Amino acid sequence: MDAASAPIVDLRHISKRFGSFVAIEDASVDIRRGEIHALVGENGAGKSTLMNILYGIVQRSGGEISFDGKPVSFANPREAIAAGIGMVHQHFKLAPSFTVAENIILGAEPMRSLGRIDVRGAESRTKALSERYGLALDPRALISSLPVGLRQRVEILKALYREARVLILDEPTAVLTPQETRELFITMRALADQGHSIIFITHKLREVLATADRISVMRQGAIVSTIANAGVTAEEIARLMVGRPVLLRVMKRKARPTAEPLLEVEGLSALGDRGEAAVDNVTLAVRAGEIVGLAGVQGNGQDELIECIAGLRTPTAGAVRIGGKPLGRTPAANRAVGLAYIPADRARVGLSTQSGVWENLTIGHLDEFRLGPFLAVGKARRRAGELIARFDVRGAELDKPAQSLSGGNQQKVQVARELTRDAKVIVAEQPSQGVDIGAIEQIHRTLVEMRDAGKSVFVISADLDEIFAISDRIVVIYRGRIVADVDAEATTPEQVGRYMGGVHADSSEARSFGMTKAAPG
Amino acid sequence: MAQPLAALAVAIIVGGLLVLVIGDDPFQIYWILISGSLIGVPNLMVTLQIMTPLIFTGLAVSIAFRAGLWNIGVEGQMLVGAFFAGLVGWLAPLPAIAHIPLTLVAAMLGGALWAAIPALLRVKLNVNELVVCLMLNPIALLLTGYFTIHLLKAPGPTNKLPDVLATAMLPQFSLFSQANAGVFIALGCCILFALINGSTVRGFEWKIMGLNPTFAYYGGVDVPARAISAMLVSGALAGLGGAEEVMGVYRAFFDGFSPGYGFDGIAVAMLANFNPLGVIAAAGLFGALESGGAVLQMTTNISKYLVEVLQFTTVLILAAQFSWGWLRRRRIGGSHQAIGAVAEPEPNPVAEEA
Repeated sequence: MDAASAPIVDLRHISKRFGSFVAIEDASVDIRRGEIHALVGENGAGKSTLMNILYGIVQRSGGEISFDGKPVSFANPREAIAAGIGMVHQHFKLAPSFTVAENIILGAEPMRSLGRIDVRGAESRTKALSERYGLALDPRALISSLPVGLRQRVEILKALYREARVLILDEPTAVLTPQETRELFITMRALADQGHSIIFITHKLREVLATADRISVMRQGAIVSTIANAGVTAEEIARLMVGRPVLLRVMKRKARPTAEPLLEVEGLSALGDRGEAAVDNVTLAVRAGEIVGLAGVQGNGQDELIECIAGLRTPTAGAVRIGGKPLGRTPAANRAVGLAYIPADRARVGLSTQSGVWENLTIGHLDEFRLGPFLAVGKARRRAGELIARFDVRGAELDKPAQSLSGGNQQKVQVARELTRDAKVIVAEQPSQGVDIGAIEQIHRTLVEMRDAGKSVFVISADLDEIFAISDRIVVIYRGRIVADVDAEATTPEQVGRYMGGVHADSSEARSFGMTKAAPG
Repeated sequence: MAQPLAALAVAIIVGGLLVLVIGDDPFQIYWILISGSLIGVPNLMVTLQIMTPLIFTGLAVSIAFRAGLWNIGVEGQMLVGAFFAGLVGWLAPLPAIAHIPLTLVAAMLGGALWAAIPALLRVKLNVNELVVCLMLNPIALLLTGYFTIHLLKAPGPTNKLPDVLATAMLPQFSLFSQANAGVFIALGCCILFALINGSTVRGFEWKIMGLNPTFAYYGGVDVPARAISAMLVSGALAGLGGAEEVMGVYRAFFDGFSPGYGFDGIAVAMLANFNPLGVIAAAGLFGALESGGAVLQMTTNISKYLVEVLQFTTVLILAAQFSWGWLRRRRIGGSHQAIGAVAEPEPNPVAEEA
């Protein structure tokens, strides 16, 4: 094998133990020069740990790493960077009040005499870099003024400035709009064509198939397979990830909504945490027997809208009605009129992580177990046991704290609690966030069952795949306003993505349903 | 259970080393502590007398804490409760069967009244209850002192209210100490609250909101109302502790009678892990240390401050372990609101929306 075709990174039999817990077991993978190598796997499969070992954040327990043909062992990220490895984390590490150029040179500043930083030089080098890689950026722009997609671009340039030859991107698309995602993919390909190697950590299979040259699948700390991206399907990769066949798109018949809107939001406005107008005159309705998906880039008012519906935030104007009855101002009142709410923030809102599973399943159902002042503890525990079995909450015991469960099983606890109430409207916020592919299938199926039982289901997700997998109708929120309301069958992710990015809808595409209408934009 | 015992064990070792440094025999000193508090009816009676108010105050702190509130105003609530008991016990000429309950109820109202201030400020204006409680303690001391010294003082040199009537007195057990029938009320309260915590809807709600108030609110618990009720109950228990002192020990309200039972109650509650039945054991231990310490002071040249070294070391270890766990939990997300109410990010469901 000559030098040019030898792998740039070669991980051989890597293992990592934390105490008795085996995080990585005999994982071997090689990264070639100029390839985009996707690393996929469920939460906890060991993707990040393996990459943290390569990047020097975590020290391996066993195995060998060679970089550019030489055995290496990075004690910290500084050494990895010096060798030519760059990593872009999910949460950016940029100083918002600094300019693009300042952030890029931070820690590796070009100096002038007397210890002064060569700002002009930094800017010209930034400009040269961004031109060379086709990553348009204004070196003098403040980070705080940039959208997320461009901040990520700064992170990539920062790595390139340090002459990274291998770039690790950890879940890079999680925060991007579909358009930004597409631009990122173009960038990745351009970098690969110039000889850089890119390791792309993700769990979105569609993106893997669209970008990767080769795909490595991790499961339970091991690399179960490394395959070329030629002729593989998403189902095959999902099967490798989970270890059994998985339905990626839950089977459902066409929705048969009645005319009756169970959830109505009318002219709702609300302020965000910083007093900004987060929700601006939103009007929408979800009819009995349909699933409506709310799509939008994070931070466009969907959180505040949901909190208003859930009673956790007080709107400044407008009304929310469930089954024709106006909502109260507290979660207790909203539960009483028939709302079930599965919050995205499990640790803070949806669960008491230190309380036992039975206690987490009992709250919201206290009236069922009230005997005068007493709580029928035995009965509540029996019901909790039944729910654990029925919703297949793995690893759950009645008295075990909820935090000991995996994300997917915590989600099942929430779902079990909320869907066993006699609710008319189910609001599910990021229902598959942090949940493994196998469990996503089950949660989606449960929501479809609820729809078919004549309830209104309102799903909020930042993940367009999820919105399309489950929704009958899609509404799009942009800067606090509903900018589109479309039939899920009659639109495409690209079209919805354009609405999410604020590209104005052609009025013929925004269709109205009943009392629902797109807010004037 | 294991942590308090481990902390106690470390404290005993630290105290033993201290004694060794002074040049005494730690085993002998500890034996004097034990025999001086537990062996013989007189010593036991002193222990019982000191542990009784500590049960009330320890229980008061525990009940509020379990609901996520740091009631460190138990000292002040106890003083106000005691003052009310002193008034009603002195002024209401009733047969004992009515007078004793009425005096107890008056004390509970007094304690609850003083606890209502931090409770309402917390719920209505989101003012940290820790700060308010702390400030209300000296106010209670000085206010009851003002009434006692300047307005209602009994004749004679002592700053106290006139004696309570015989019909409002709780019977004392022996001549060896002022231990009295109030201890049965204290034990009864512990059993009652063990039952409330474990088997009632209210106890369930308090527990859940103590661990995660946002979750409790989301789950339909009326968190502001429950926070007020927990504080009022806590204050009432503190007031009962004051009544026990007035009706059983001193037979009158004395200005500044408490050597800090309300503050010791915080330590007792921590040692008991905020468990009502554990409070009995923790208060017993603190009572025994105090009464054994008095014997130590009389019979050896070791100061009774050795006892405080033991108490404070135990609490320090528990507090450090506790804070560490709490900080870690906060970083993860599901925070215990009790200590960090001020730093808690919004939305804060314990505070009602305006």
